[in-house]
Order: sequence, then C-alpha cells, then structure tokens
Amino acid sequence: MKAEMAAPFAEIVQNEQEYLTRIASQGKRMIGYFCTYTPLELIHAMGFLPVRITGSSRRAEKAYSLMPSFICPYMRGVLEKGLCGDYGFLSGIVQGYTCDAACGMVNIWEENIGGSLFYSLPLPYNDSPGSREFMRARLRDLAGKLESLGGRYSEEALNASVALYENIRTALLDLYDMRYRGALPLSAAAFLQVILAGFIASPEDYLRMIRELMSSLDRESDQQRGGVPLLVSGSIIENPRFFEIIEDRGGRVIADDLCTGYRGLQPPAGSGVDAMDALIDRFMKRFPCPSRIRAVERLPLLLDLLQASGARGVLFLLQKFCTPHLADHPMLYREMNARGIPSLEVEIEESLDVDGQFLTRIESFLEILR
Amino acid sequence: MEQPTKSKKRLATAKELSAIIIEYYRECNQARIEGRPVGWMPPMNGAIEIFYAMGLQPVFPENWSPICAAFGLTPENFRVTEQMGYSQDLCGYLRNINGYVHGLMKQGGGPLGGLPEPDIIISPGAGCIPVMKIFHILEERFPDAKVFRADLPQVAVEDIQEDHLRYAVDEIRRLIDFLAETTGRRLDYDRLEEVVILSDRACELWDEIMAFRKSIPTPFSAAEIGIMFVMVTRQGTRTAVDYLTRVRDEVRERSRAGIGVIENERVRLFWDNIPPWFNMGLLNYFEGAGGVMVAETYSAAWSLRLNVKNPIEALAMKSLMSYPMVSCVSIKKRKEMVLRACRDYHIDGAILHSNKSCHPITLGQMDIKRALENELGIPSLVIDGDHMDERNFSLAQFQTRADAFMEMLLSKK
Ligand code: SF4
Ligand code: SF4
Repeated sequence: MKAEMAAPFAEIVQNEQEYLTRIASQGKRMIGYFCTYTPLELIHAMGFLPVRITGSSRRAEKAYSLMPSFICPYMRGVLEKGLCGDYGFLSGIVQGYTCDAACGMVNIWEENIGGSLFYSLPLPYNDSPGSREFMRARLRDLAGKLESLGGRYSEEALNASVALYENIRTALLDLYDMRYRGALPLSAAAFLQVILAGFIASPEDYLRMIRELMSSLDRESDQQRGGVPLLVSGSIIENPRFFEIIEDRGGRVIADDLCTGYRGLQPPAGSGVDAMDALIDRFMKRFPCPSRIRAVERLPLLLDLLQASGARGVLFLLQKFCTPHLADHPMLYREMNARGIPSLEVEIEESLDVDGQFLTRIESFLEILR
Repeated sequence: MEQPTKSKKRLATAKELSAIIIEYYRECNQARIEGRPVGWMPPMNGAIEIFYAMGLQPVFPENWSPICAAFGLTPENFRVTEQMGYSQDLCGYLRNINGYVHGLMKQGGGPLGGLPEPDIIISPGAGCIPVMKIFHILEERFPDAKVFRADLPQVAVEDIQEDHLRYAVDEIRRLIDFLAETTGRRLDYDRLEEVVILSDRACELWDEIMAFRKSIPTPFSAAEIGIMFVMVTRQGTRTAVDYLTRVRDEVRERSRAGIGVIENERVRLFWDNIPPWFNMGLLNYFEGAGGVMVAETYSAAWSLRLNVKNPIEALAMKSLMSYPMVSCVSIKKRKEMVLRACRDYHIDGAILHSNKSCHPITLGQMDIKRALENELGIPSLVIDGDHMDERNFSLAQFQTRADAFMEMLLSKK
C-alpha cells in the first residue's frame, strides 16, 4: 500500500484553506456546493471554480447557535467552517435540491455568511421529455445568474468542461476497476484522499494529478491486497480514519456507494445533441442517491456492485440524522439479510469514538465475515 | 400511558369539528364499500381538488398522525416502526404511519374505522424527504395500488417562473390522464371549475378568519386551529366552505362583541412550527398567566388565492406554493411572513418550537428569532420538542422556561 502515491492529493485536502486562498488571490472566482448533484460542468464552463464545501473536524461551537442539534454532523461542520470565515472567497452557493438539510443550509448561509448568488436547482425526479425541458430551462436560468456575476456562457466552453469532467470521472472509474481486480496498490484511506482532493482542486490540475498517479501505478506490480472485501454505503465520509481502521483490522474497502466516491462518478458523462443535453442526460442516469429514489430501486444496483467487486458484506456508514439514508436502511438491511449478505450500520456523530466504539463494532463485524 | 391532553376550545364551531372529522373518515371507509377509488396522497397539493372533482376519495396519511396522537396510539405505532429497524431520528409522521400500516391496520384496528386501503398512491417527488420516503414505504406495503410518481419543482415562492409553472401544469395534466386511465372515470372540467371555486372560497374564508385574530382581545387562538382539518382534507368541497363560513361568522361575532378566548388577555403570543400533537393542551398553557397564542406559522400554508379562471394552472400554482411557504425552501419568505404576522397580530412574544421531527420547518428558526428581535423587538422562547414523539419533550423544562418567559413579557407591560 503506497500511501505516498496519494500524498499530493492528501496535501491539497489538508491544506484546503491555503490552496483555495491561493487560487482566489489569482483572481479566480469560486462557487460552493454541498452535494454532487450540482452542475459542476456549467459552473466551470462559465469561468468559476466549483468547490465542494466540506465539513469540519473541529468541534462545532458557533454552528449550534444557528442550527438545531438534530441535523447531520456534516452540515454542522459546514456551518461551523462558514461561520469561522473559512469560505470568505466564495461568490455564492449553487446546490442541486437534494435533501432538506442542504436546502436549509443554502438559506442559512445566505442569511449569515453571505455571498452574491444562492441558487437551489430543482432537479426533476422523473425522466421525461418534459422534465428534461424543465431542467434545461433551469440550467439556462442558472447560467443567466452566473452571467450577472461576470461569468460567460458559450457552447464550446460547456463542451470542453463536459469533456474535462468526463475524463476525470473515467480515470477515477478506471481506478475502481483496478480495485475490483485487486490491482490497486492504494489503501482505502489513501484512495479517499484522492477523491476528496477532487472536490477542491481545479479540474485541470486534478486530471493531471490523476494521470500522474496512474502512470506511477503502472510501475507498481499487481499485488493482491488481502482482507475481507466490503462495500461501504452512506452519504459523505471525510475522515480517512474510518477506512484505516477497517483495513488495519483485516477488512478491505473494495466498493462504495458514497457521494465521496462512486456515486458521484457514474456515469462519467451523458449523451445528447448538445453539451447542455449531455449534462441533463447524465443527471437523469446517475447512480442514484437515496434522496432521489426508492430503496427498492437502489437495491439491485447495490447487489450488482457487490457482485462486480466481490464484496462479502456491507457497512452502512451513515451520518446521524441523515433522513434519506436512514429511511432506506431498514429495507436494504432486510433484503441483504434475506440474501445472506451480512451488513452493519454505524452512525457518524460527534460523539462517535472512532478508535473505540467504531473499532470494536468493525472487529466483530469482520469476525462474522471471515 | 397518560391520556393525550387536548386543547381547550372556546368556539362553538371548533367543537363541531369532531363531527366533521368522524364524517370524513366514515366517507373514506364508505368509499371502499361503494367501490369509489381511494387514493392516498401527500398534504397541501392540487391533487385534492382533482380527486373531489372526479368523485374519487382522497386520504392523507400525514393527517392520520395527529389523529393517532389524539387517540394515544403513537407509542404503539412507534414501537412497530422501531422494531422494523427504523431510526428514532426520523420524522414522527413517517414513524407513525409506517407503524400504523404495518401494525394496527393489519389487525383491522384503529380509531374512526381506520384507514381504507389505497387503490391509488400519489407518490411525491417534492416536498420534504420524509414525506417522499413515507410514500415509498406505502408503495411497498400496498403493492396492488396503482402508483402515480408525481414530480414538482422545489422552488421558493418568490422565485417561481414560467418554466416552473409549465412543468407543474404538465404534471397536473399527467395526473388527470393517469386517474382517468386507472379509474375509468373522466374529469368533467365544469365540475373541476366548481371545485376550484369552492377551494378558493375556502382560502378566502381562511384569510378572513385569520384576519379577525388581529382583534384585541383575540376571538380565536392557536388552540382552535384544529379547524385546519377542513383545509387539509376537504378543500374544494361544500363541507369546507359551509363550515368555514360558520366559523367566520362566530369569530366575527365574538370580535365585534369584544369577546376574547380568555377573559383577561394580557400577552399575545406567536407559535412557530407544528404543534405537539400529543399534548395540544400546551397551546393553552400560557393562558393561566394571561397569555394567548394568537397566531402560528402553519396557517400560512392556506393563505393563498386560486385563479378560478384557469383551474389547472391554479392547482399547479397551489401545489408549487403550499409547502415552500412553511418550510426552509425560502427562509427569507418565511421570515417575512412571520414578521408580518407578528406585526399584524400585535404579538408580544414568540414561541419557537425546535421540532426534532421536522428539519425543514426548524431550519432557519434562529434567523427568524434574530429578525424578530432586531426588527420588531419581539423576544422569543425556543422550546425543544417534537410534533409527534413525546420522548423528545420535557414538560417540566417547558413549564419552567415558559413561566420565566411569561414573567419577563409581563414585566414589560
Ligand atoms: S449527510 Fe444526509 S442529511 Fe446530511 S447533507 Fe448529506 S444527504 Fe443531507
Ligand atoms: S419533515 Fe416536516 S414537512 Fe416533512 S413530513 Fe415531517 S413534519 Fe412534514
């Protein structure tokens, strides 16, 4: 496991603030987002850097004064950082309407932290010519708003951005393939750093970095990594310690259904008569988040992932209070169980002792799987 | 278990409500017997009027939760849900209805004859996540029901544009086609127009009633707000209009005669968020010290008018507006509405129910609190609670804090 290969990615993640401040000082403007259901390609094409607002590892202090304690720790961390001024360089937030917490946070941010543009993009739940037309109208409206901030729209630029993000996603999915084949010499924790850096870095830099990583991987031998293969399902995972513990204790994260992972990548692009069409097509065909779809429809996709990756069990690593995931979990658990697939649910909260409670639960889960 | 505490209602018409509730649920069950198709649907949308216009029976699983709470069934429903592995952190409406359909309902039980099984499920893509997930659960529980996957843009009321409306209109038309196909009944557009006129009339009466709450003393308080039952379940019917007319007349009378809900009204209060259905008596709690709950956020959901000249568009607009007006889709709008209400109703203090069961209504409350203080000088009290789950509420703590708050408000008088 070559953690050092992921070092440039980890460095961006650890020095997010410096990295983004530097970009901002070069005159680049940035738009924040929470959820991968955000039209990054459009934002990028119009001259802005889309930056995913990450949670905070700090203890929340300020955030409690503006938000109740029963909102997911991710959003609490987000608000804490926002209130501490960490994102002063953002021109605003564009967010695909997914969960209620994200919807509320766009508003709270606007009220308390400020910026010039706050945009919740209503994403259709159905795929039909009408819903696609509606989404197109909304994206055009968003483009208009970005124009009023000084952005410029052109079909060529959008085409280029769609292609750029497609290349990134394709490259990352190649890494997933290698992982399934046991040919990825990266620990899950290191791999998470690779993914997380993509939410911060400019896509041009990021693609270059992934390509460099891939060529260094080519020089590595295809050594099989041991451990009980697992699929991890949940929303956002930012702390690599979870994965370190799993792999230290004889597990191996081989596949995921995370928005800090596979869910944001599949498919790499859509198709259509023009770039906007392709963008919409990708939204419609995305590997779905529970905030968008029924558990019964996610189930076969998760079963396919299990099969493709060879994972023997599922770890539902959920953010506490995260309604979309918590509401789907009982049904998924029941169906997995009926198929003899063991699963474990752990909720991430501030009080969760990762090296204590989490470790103990993982150990006993892995015991069952061995 | 203790019996749920009901609110004290002072209007004669508020007391008539139980008959209306009983009759509604009797009608729901009768529909099943008569072969009138039953459709389960989320609250506050234009499908209600279409159902009534087509002679179909709308049923509202969310509304069933307050009924379960009033009959003390919530703990049992929660037990069933939790046994199925659902987290206690999920919205109490979801946990209650899931427990009911998998527990009591299967045993053929429940108050008021229980809920009739659905022939049709209107499963929303819109509104909040819990409401969407409630319907996913229901689809699974009633596999024989025909499912309409509704879609609706999530948009702040102030941002509604042509394309939102067009999409919502298309969805209403698609719903009409779906209903015609599944039930074999055609929609008579003249009848729809009548229904929409009735619906609009109900909204108009609603606003009239609410306006009388400006009177000092107020003839109507949040403890009487159960009248919204007809807005939830009966919009577009004569029943709603006739009933609201009687309420309006009574409230008008009391207002003219200067009769308040309590004898010595000293402090006027505002309630934000869904009330605690398991203990509606809390809405009367402040009355001992002369405090009346004059107004609340929730009633804003029906404070809109329908363009009766274009019924389909009116229903599309209603569907687009109702939920965002009371949730966090636009905190700006909600803040504006709360401030306006507090000004219009001469409010002295606000009770902000920080409701663990409802993220969308609770998010943004602190911004509302600040605006009340800064812009109107109105102090607020934040109460930790839950609209369904008594376990997330401490009566003792509520009383201590409420008493101190009242004392403070009275000292300013
Ligand atoms: S973790 Fe869950 S609740 Fe939190 S923002 Fe993501 S989807 Fe929403
Ligand atoms: S979260 Fe709030 S709006 Fe949604 S179902 Fe629950 S009570 Fe209703």
